Amino acid sequence: MATHYLYLTNSRLVSILLARGQVRDARVFEASEDGAAAFEERLASVARVPVHLITDLAEEDLRPDTLPHVGAGDREAILGRKLGQIFRNTPYRHALLQGREAEGRRDDRVVYAAITNPDVLKPWIERLERREVPLAGIHSAAVLGTPLLEVLGIAQPHVLLVHFSPGGALRQTYFRDGEIRFTRLTPADHEDERPVGAMIADETTRTWQHLDNLRSFANTDRLEIFLLAHPGERAAIEPALTGFEQIAYHLLDTDEVAAKIGLKPPPPTSSAERILAFLQEKRGVENHFATPEMRRYWTFGRARNVINATSIAVLGVGIVVSILNLHGIFNAANEDQRTAREILSLNSEYDRITRALPAAGVGGAAMRDAASFYTRYIQGFPSLGGFLGPLSGVLEAHPRVRLSQLSWQATDDQRTTPRLAVAPSSLPPPVKSTGKAADVAARPASEDAPSGTFGGSRYEVALVEATVIVPSHDFRAALAEVDRVAEEIGRIRGFQAQVLESPLDLRPSLSLQGRHSERETQAMQARFILRIVRSGRAA
Amino acid sequence: MKQLLSREGRRRLRGPMLIFGACVALSAGIGGASQWFLQKERRDAMGAGVRFQEARARVAKIQSERDNLEQSIEVFRSLVERGLMQPERRLDLVELMNALRARHGILALDYEIAPQRALAFADNRTFPAVEILSSRVTLKLRALHEGDALAFIDSLGESRQLDRCVLRRMEVANPDGLQPRVEADCTLEWITMKEKRVG
Repeated sequence: MATHYLYLTNSRLVSILLARGQVRDARVFEASEDGAAAFEERLASVARVPVHLITDLAEEDLRPDTLPHVGAGDREAILGRKLGQIFRNTPYRHALLQGREAEGRRDDRVVYAAITNPDVLKPWIERLERREVPLAGIHSAAVLGTPLLEVLGIAQPHVLLVHFSPGGALRQTYFRDGEIRFTRLTPADHEDERPVGAMIADETTRTWQHLDNLRSFANTDRLEIFLLAHPGERAAIEPALTGFEQIAYHLLDTDEVAAKIGLKPPPPTSSAERILAFLQEKRGVENHFATPEMRRYWTFGRARNVINATSIAVLGVGIVVSILNLHGIFNAANEDQRTAREILSLNSEYDRITRALPAAGVGGAAMRDAASFYTRYIQGFPSLGGFLGPLSGVLEAHPRVRLSQLSWQATDDQRTTPRLAVAPSSLPPPVKSTGKAADVAARPASEDAPSGTFGGSRYEVALVEATVIVPSHDFRAALAEVDRVAEEIGRIRGFQAQVLESPLDLRPSLSLQGRHSERETQAMQARFILRIVRSGRAA
Repeated sequence: MKQLLSREGRRRLRGPMLIFGACVALSAGIGGASQWFLQKERRDAMGAGVRFQEARARVAKIQSERDNLEQSIEVFRSLVERGLMQPERRLDLVELMNALRARHGILALDYEIAPQRALAFADNRTFPAVEILSSRVTLKLRALHEGDALAFIDSLGESRQLDRCVLRRMEVANPDGLQPRVEADCTLEWITMKEKRVG
């Protein structure tokens, strides 16, 4: 990206094309009609390149002043009014804010700058206008001395920066504590026969005298004069610059200065336009003299660039978003395809399993239901033989006990009591209980009716009627034997036994009848009933 | 800013503004369209995910059913072999009674087979795919020994579930005579199953 710098003096205009920190092209045009015409031709090839115009004219004027410290809006109004009053006849005017006074109201220090004769710029500005060249700004070469001092690290209280302009004029700019206060251009006089060193010494001494007359210095102050000169001219200049107590000279080698600020190639002469143009390029010093109207093409160009950059950014964002979305779309599509393949695989697996399902002439549900019914209700269903086996083992150990009858029932309700018809004994005991509830095995016939429903028959309930043969009247032995039988049955795993009717019911609520005849038998059969519950399939 | 809003400014910036508008529209267009496609693909992917889960659940179910059936089929085959999965053959039972009576020396045998009915369950359990039928059989028999009676009852088979029985020792006048010593009065459920046919 190139930038076009125009360095205007009273005698000529230098056109410098800078790009990437290097001077790409430099041309000089005389301040005449021919020069202006040639310049316009030059503009044809670089009309779209932004232009900075640096003025180094004898008509430049600086007026230091102080203002009350006010807000930005008020200050702008005051400065505008002041500039209008001081430099009434020129649009090229500018106020430089420098700092604040250390004492008193601490007013703002201001320097008003202007090109008092606008006609000097007119032919050049007209051509720029005609070519619609984007003019970025008009800058004062004297004011550009401030950043030059900063870059070179020159910080003495009283500095006079001296440099040559194209055409040989001598620009002297005075800075106090880094703030610009005064500038003066000495035009080149071709009839002047003084050596250049002597001319510089004379002109700088004259400037010191002028400043001293303005009471710029105290008695002990010394003016440090920095002269920008090409190394080739050093020998011609240096011997004349002897200085004295109030003046000290310092030569600034243009090659060294160019190297310090990064300018390539270094200037070929002592003329300072390339250094100042490059400094402007590097530091971007504010516009001094160009009005908004003069800068409008540059403003339009900037706006166009901003809009175009924004357009590119918006388009870029859209493209980036689209690329991200496309990436997401491809990922989702790939995922979709992968899922579809997995679904296909699962469906194939389903079909394969379905085809390989075991079949036995009926549907799978019927098979499952049949198997479920079997395992829930039929498998492990109680059997009479299975109930009697353990019971027989107990009874074998009691030879005096004889089983008369057994009523067995498979049921889900362990409170069930099967029906039992009691038969009369052939050898009835001589003593028996009578009365209500004596015959506990008797139950209503309705209890025995089948319920009509089928269950898992988790319990087996049985009433066992048996007799124990003991010596006549030995009820104690009979009772003990029956208790032992019940106890031993109860010890079998899953069995519970309860004496439902004992050989002799001794409850006080019953009647007890005894009979002793003349001829009594030696033994008696004492009848009893056991209620046995087996919970083989109980949970 | 004043320069930009002037007539000249508007004229000079018309082109870039049009380009800017076109870029905004194009960017919004391609961004919006790609976003729409992305959402669509994501919806499709979600739908595919749901279908995938369904397919996986279906396979898991059929695998479980297969495992279940592999267990059930063994039981089922044994039920077929034991005659539970065939219609009630009453003549076979009549012949079986006669054969068992002779084999176990049963002296007297009375039996009655009630009309077949659908079996209802105490726990209200239902079996939708099979019809479970039962006939209640009442037995009255007399034998010389309780072992004969028990062997006879046991021989009736697993499809006939004995659920109540009274065994009674009989008093005999002549202990040395060939007379029944034991009588049994039993009831059982004769269960058969058949597959329910839909329609």
